Amino acid sequence: MPSVLGLFFPLVQFSLLIGCAALTALAQPPPTSATPAERAFRELTDGAGRSIKVPARIERIVSLAPSMTETVFALGLQARLAGVTDHCDFPPEALALPKVGGGLTPSLERIVELKPDLVLATTLLNRRETVDSLDRLGVPAFSARDPQTVDDVLLEITSVASALGASDQGAALVAELRARLAALDQALAGRAPRRVLFIVWHDPLITIGRNTFIADALRRAGGLSVIDVEQDWPRISLEEVVRLDPEVLVFASSHSEGVRQTFESLAARPAWQGLTAVKNRQYAIISDAVNRPAPRLLAAIEELARQLHPAAFASPVKETPGARSEKQENGRAMQKEKPSCSR
Amino acid sequence: MQPLTAKRLGLICGGMVAVLIVIILFALKLGAVPISVADLAMLLFRRIAGAEEPLPTEYQMIVFNIRLPRILLSVLVGASLSVAGAGFQALLRNPLADPYVLGVSSGAALGAILALGAPSLLTPLAAFGGALAAIACVYLLGRRGGQLDSYTLLLAGIITASFLSALILFLMTTLPSRDTRGMAFWLMGDLSSSSPIPAGLLFLVMLVAIGAIYTTAADLNLLLSGEQEALHLGVDVPRVKLVVYLSASLLTALAVSVSGAIGFVGILVPHIIRLLFGSDYRVLIPTTAVGGAIVIVLADALARTVNAPNELPVGAITAMAGAPVFLYLLRRRLS
Amino acid sequence: MNPPPGTDMFVHDSTGIDRVGPGEVRLLLELASYAYHARDRAAPLFTLEATSLSAHQRQLVAILGANASGKSTLLRLMAGALAPLSGRVQLDGFEVSKLDPRTRAQRIALVQQESLLLFPVRVWEYVMQGRHPYGRGLRFETEEDAKVVESALAQVGALHLKPRWMHEISGGEKQRVVLARALAQQPLLLLLDEPTLHLDIGAQVDLLRQLRWLAEANRYTVVVVTHELNLAAEFADHVVLMHRGKSLRVGSPAEVYDRDLLEQVFGAALEVETGADGTPRVRVRGRLPSQA
Repeated sequence: MPSVLGLFFPLVQFSLLIGCAALTALAQPPPTSATPAERAFRELTDGAGRSIKVPARIERIVSLAPSMTETVFALGLQARLAGVTDHCDFPPEALALPKVGGGLTPSLERIVELKPDLVLATTLLNRRETVDSLDRLGVPAFSARDPQTVDDVLLEITSVASALGASDQGAALVAELRARLAALDQALAGRAPRRVLFIVWHDPLITIGRNTFIADALRRAGGLSVIDVEQDWPRISLEEVVRLDPEVLVFASSHSEGVRQTFESLAARPAWQGLTAVKNRQYAIISDAVNRPAPRLLAAIEELARQLHPAAFASPVKETPGARSEKQENGRAMQKEKPSCSR
Repeated sequence: MQPLTAKRLGLICGGMVAVLIVIILFALKLGAVPISVADLAMLLFRRIAGAEEPLPTEYQMIVFNIRLPRILLSVLVGASLSVAGAGFQALLRNPLADPYVLGVSSGAALGAILALGAPSLLTPLAAFGGALAAIACVYLLGRRGGQLDSYTLLLAGIITASFLSALILFLMTTLPSRDTRGMAFWLMGDLSSSSPIPAGLLFLVMLVAIGAIYTTAADLNLLLSGEQEALHLGVDVPRVKLVVYLSASLLTALAVSVSGAIGFVGILVPHIIRLLFGSDYRVLIPTTAVGGAIVIVLADALARTVNAPNELPVGAITAMAGAPVFLYLLRRRLS
Repeated sequence: MNPPPGTDMFVHDSTGIDRVGPGEVRLLLELASYAYHARDRAAPLFTLEATSLSAHQRQLVAILGANASGKSTLLRLMAGALAPLSGRVQLDGFEVSKLDPRTRAQRIALVQQESLLLFPVRVWEYVMQGRHPYGRGLRFETEEDAKVVESALAQVGALHLKPRWMHEISGGEKQRVVLARALAQQPLLLLLDEPTLHLDIGAQVDLLRQLRWLAEANRYTVVVVTHELNLAAEFADHVVLMHRGKSLRVGSPAEVYDRDLLEQVFGAALEVETGADGTPRVRVRGRLPSQA
């Protein structure tokens, strides 16, 4: 009995194979229509050590992270910004720019459609796969290094500026930021750092590890994170917090009212009432710019420094350390600070 | 009712492939960037004819370098997963079996996590390696009296999958988060990243594996009645079980290394195809392959269009859409 | 239940597989034994001691015995599913356990209880599974196969069930279809494992009568494992009486149905009467204690 079935199976499957092979052949990269001599190119190295070839003058930028968008605006290059992510909300002008999707799941199609000369990405917010896919499509992508200190943030701003061909603006911006840091250092000179706990989320309790630039930002603001672990976003137990007993709880949010309510609800819990910070109502609210490795980070640091060491910045008023009513006044003073973001 | 003939099989397969081609063209049209049907048609025509392309290069890039490779991968993943699901359903004599029940995807996920620091070319290879290790491990555990025993195999697979999943969760919470963010996508199933491995090679492996299972198609029909019965009807049961196990696992490993663990396809598509064409594995295998391809191509097209420019995970679409379709078909059949 | 004319496709003379003549022994067991072990080198859980029996074409053999006496093991030895530890089990001179599964399935059909039906399948598809041993690799069913399926269903009186779904037919109908599938294998040896279990007396008689007729018409050797002593006496040519792994006696019903032997095997007070035609009949002896 001849095995007739043997004929049809390969026929069906081969048609699939042939079809797909043909389609694969169609997918060869198109021949470059623009002659290379029209635009000069230069090589640069990104934060991840990758070598990228970009046009000498970068006219069209796509940013894949809010921090990158802010940096581009701060460098005064916003006119060249062709596309941003859905989460790029500062400054408000960014909201009007064309969107390419989320930082984690951008649409490659949209990015390609915008014909960028350079795509700016971070290791914090963007996936390696996205950058690799852009590479394979021939779209130059600059991947910033993961900043672990405030200084790293400034260095990355410098290198992004250099990549964009705006080294002068970059140098000026970074110089100004460094000056503000120096002023902070001077104001806080000789003052003991206050022990703080930076709360990313309260339930479950998540904070930041020592290798994050946020931890370093706290330090520059005259605080010291009580949590000293390798992990970047460690979950800690309340027991551990009680044992470490930080002086001040630090929240970063665009909604100061929401944070106040959160704090009140936490203070109502018996487990939290053992904390010195809760008993004395010592908490600080700063802008969520502290989460972004962008120029606005400085403003958040300054904001925090004023709340942690008001004496260093306010007009001289005699304060008796340890008085509960004064601590309450400090608490209220802290709460008066408005976060400087625009949501 | 007619017995299966070559002509009928050819017609069914040809019909399904025709539907697939239409769906592929449809998916080429869909995307975050609007491209008109006319433009798309001219792009395809001129590319095939090798003519000069006056349309901007971004359009070419979008259609041929972003959408088309993604569609091809969808075909690969859909066909592999649904044939693997059908194979495991026969091997384990369990209609609820899916390609991941024997721990293949957990092994692949572990491989991918362990390769996190390395260049991204290694990730699919490491995932494949992890899958192979899981396959070997479950095979050794699932034997009884020298051959695969369905019950023992199922237990071994479930235990291995659970253990590996726990290990993966542990690693994800202890590794630095910047590395593990990509893993969450991988675990949900993600076709948005292009594969560094040439598609032709992947297709070749897939065809070999599907072909291997297909040689046992007639045997599988009998195996479903029970191993003893199949044995007494002339089926070389140990050989058939081994072939199906290895081929189905290989297909799963292939799909998962490329796109992570996309759920529901492996269990739903074979059942939907059964409702349409019956349980004869000689028809089921080719039609479920094409059926799976159709489902994933559609799901992926929706994933990148519905919430444009944001991209949804493909696994969410397959879950949301698959279940109601299956329920509808089931009710129609029962009424 | 007269045979439809022209159903000689089930008689193997026409296909040339039959190697022995009508008078020669078809099924031969010589001192065949087997033992089940839980683990290697552990003491055996159950031993089937050396058993001998022989049967010709057109003969029906009944295997009787209490539960767990080795009946099913003996049947599986005959089916070639188990290889004997010692001795031989031969069909037409071939050692059954050494045949490859495909050839074996063309010679021996085994009918067991309760088929698993995971996915819906039609009756004719189910019977068509019996043609599997005759295909090579991937194949479609041929005209010949379709004819065999029809004839098999006709022989068991289930031709009207052909287009129905297996899960929709009654238990009795299902049993006939399972038998038809065995017939579709065109075997020489037909083995049935307790086919009379769930049937009422009328259905049991019908089945045995049919098996007897099939043995005649298709020249099978039929081996049936059963508990029904009287039916076996009525319809079987040979009877094997099993007790705890030993075959106590092999012979015709008249030879085997000895009162003491039966009482030893079944542990009940029994009486054996012999009918006019020499067929023994087993009765319960005596009355219940309160009715003495």
